[in-house]
Amino acid sequence: MNDLVERIGELLSKLQSSDYLEREEAVEELGNYDTDEAVAGLVIAIEDPNPGIRELAAEHLSKMKGDTAPKLLIHFLGNDDITARNLAAEILVKIGSRSVPYLIEQVDVDDYDVRKFIVDTLGLIKDENSVDALCQKLWDENINVICSAAEALGEVGSPKAIDALVAVFEKIEDVQPQALEALGKIGDTRALEHLYRFIETDDPIIQYAGIEAIGKIGSPSSMKVLSKYLNDEDESVSELALMAIINISNSTDGNIDFDIPLDKFSKFLFNGVKEKDPEITSFTINRLKNWFGHDVIYNLVDVLDAVDEENQKLIIESLGQVGGTASTMLIKKFKESSVEIKNIILEIIKQFIDEDIAKKLMEFVDDEDPGIRQKLAHMIGSSYLPEALPVLKKMAGDEIGHVRSAAYAALGWLCTENEVEFLMKGLDDKFVDVREAAAGAMIMIGTEAVVEKFRKFLFDENIEKQRISALSLGMIGDSTVVKPLIEAINHPEEEIRRSSIISLARIGDDRAIEHIVVALNDESKAVRKSAINALVILQRQECVPKIKFLLDDEDLWIRYHAINVIGDFRNNEFSEYVLPYLNDEQDVIRIATMKALSKMGCREAMSTIDQFANDSNEDIVNAAHQAITVLDGEK
Amino acid sequence: MEIKVKNEGQVCEVYLIGRLDLASGTNLKEELKKIFDQDKNMIHLNLNEVEFINSSGLGSLVSIMKEVRLRKGRLTLSNLASYVKEIFEITQLSHIFEIYETQEEAMSSYQSVTAN
Repeated sequence: MNDLVERIGELLSKLQSSDYLEREEAVEELGNYDTDEAVAGLVIAIEDPNPGIRELAAEHLSKMKGDTAPKLLIHFLGNDDITARNLAAEILVKIGSRSVPYLIEQVDVDDYDVRKFIVDTLGLIKDENSVDALCQKLWDENINVICSAAEALGEVGSPKAIDALVAVFEKIEDVQPQALEALGKIGDTRALEHLYRFIETDDPIIQYAGIEAIGKIGSPSSMKVLSKYLNDEDESVSELALMAIINISNSTDGNIDFDIPLDKFSKFLFNGVKEKDPEITSFTINRLKNWFGHDVIYNLVDVLDAVDEENQKLIIESLGQVGGTASTMLIKKFKESSVEIKNIILEIIKQFIDEDIAKKLMEFVDDEDPGIRQKLAHMIGSSYLPEALPVLKKMAGDEIGHVRSAAYAALGWLCTENEVEFLMKGLDDKFVDVREAAAGAMIMIGTEAVVEKFRKFLFDENIEKQRISALSLGMIGDSTVVKPLIEAINHPEEEIRRSSIISLARIGDDRAIEHIVVALNDESKAVRKSAINALVILQRQECVPKIKFLLDDEDLWIRYHAINVIGDFRNNEFSEYVLPYLNDEQDVIRIATMKALSKMGCREAMSTIDQFANDSNEDIVNAAHQAITVLDGEK
Repeated sequence: MEIKVKNEGQVCEVYLIGRLDLASGTNLKEELKKIFDQDKNMIHLNLNEVEFINSSGLGSLVSIMKEVRLRKGRLTLSNLASYVKEIFEITQLSHIFEIYETQEEAMSSYQSVTAN
């Protein structure tokens, strides 16, 4: 113990050293000893000429337990050295509640500056034990102390201070704004009746502070009172009243059951949205469903890039509700907008596209953004306006493939047979999406002239043209394409043969059947498979005897497919064709056969299938069980 | 093609079954005309059981869309089979028709607009 006392004594001596490092070491070490002497040393150090040492001492002091530090520091609040005084106050705030009794002890000192400083410090500590002392200081002889006391009571936030604040408001005019602010910060509804009375004044400063305070208290019952001020001639008063209503409504989910003159506040509200004020944004966007003035539409477009994605969607939905009026106004905004906003504008307008809007949109087809040009081509085309034709033809020569693609597709929607020759140019484009769009346009037109073009292209030297022609003829899909597609069953390209067979099956023309049956012998496995599928699609049971030979096809999967297809007809007459394959050497064929026979309801096969229930292959066993279950169910 | 109409709520639901081509497209337009005559302009077409559509069928749909627009209404489609989707893609009609994966999604889109 004596050693410690001795060591602290040495450290205290070192605090007087001219050597900065020695003093710093002393402060550092003193911070480790929680004794009155060490604390006293640290307190001395807050007046050290070196700011680093002062801060170090302050740091240690704020962590010290016990009352020595606040007891000593309190005397610095009257110190002439403003740095030391502020530092002492800062430490006292950090120490917190333990400082409060010592601050209260000194709150009546003669020097009003010190009294004010003590009151301010109590406010920063925010301890409820200081309320009585602070309330007393509301009646100090010095107005600065009084104002500080009101502010401090607001910081402490105890409802115990309400009566005192109300009383001082009524007696001392100079403290009224601070008293109102404090009542707001305390946030207790018991102050409301007083506040409602106080804001009934001609003094705008009192009205501002009072309305703000009411807003902070946040009681839904205040909204009706505040609504009276929405029409105040003083714009600041009315805007503050609205802001208070917004805060209350947002924080309490309180319903606003009175009309708000939204147009009057449109500038205030939309500025708030632009400045990304979350309360104003939420309020404004929630009002949009009932607020459709011209100004609003303009403002909504203006704030689109200031709000988050969720709010953007809400705005777009709201604009969508306005209909064509919004479209016309949005178009006026289009040119000066960013690409992102242009996209949004087009999304809105899309719902209302008509001839007038399409004509206006045509002015923007040279937009520098290809994504916008692409969208414009689609929208202009969807107007079906004859005047769109030259515009879209020009766009079909755009340098960007996606734009050309959209323009060709849109030309198809206009359905003008005269443009077939033009559309054919697109079939030679270097990009597949443009070629397919041109084909799509020709599909939309779908006349005999178009069919004739595609028929010729089926045997063009360009394989891509052959592919697109087969696809397109299938999609045109009426009786005029049957003949060219039948011709294509003998096409040298396997893919064209396959695609033609599928198309013919979809079209469902009887003329195709005999040709598809011939294709069952095609050299290509894919074509043979398509032919089988085609016959199933055509639901031609009479073709089954003709498919029968494929049960012995060299390819396992053709055999498998043929069994499945025959089974799908669910006709027991065909079971004799597949029964022999129950003994096939391939497991997959035996499984397919069991399934097919069960679909056909072939109970004669049950005893054979039953034998497979003990097979070593689990898949065979499962297939056998399933087939028997199905057949049993048909008893 | 069979056309089933459920004309109860605000949105008239039309279910198409079979092949949508020139003849059935004409029938469809006639059926929808009856609906328009009742001052209904919100139409949903469920194409779940449309097994085939050709360029004439597409033409009918485009013509229905024009009519709906003239009447300031709304047309939605849903449940397109893969082949039908393919033809909508190649003609890029998917860019101008409002298409939903399911009937439920389409109907709820009407509800959200109505709710606003």
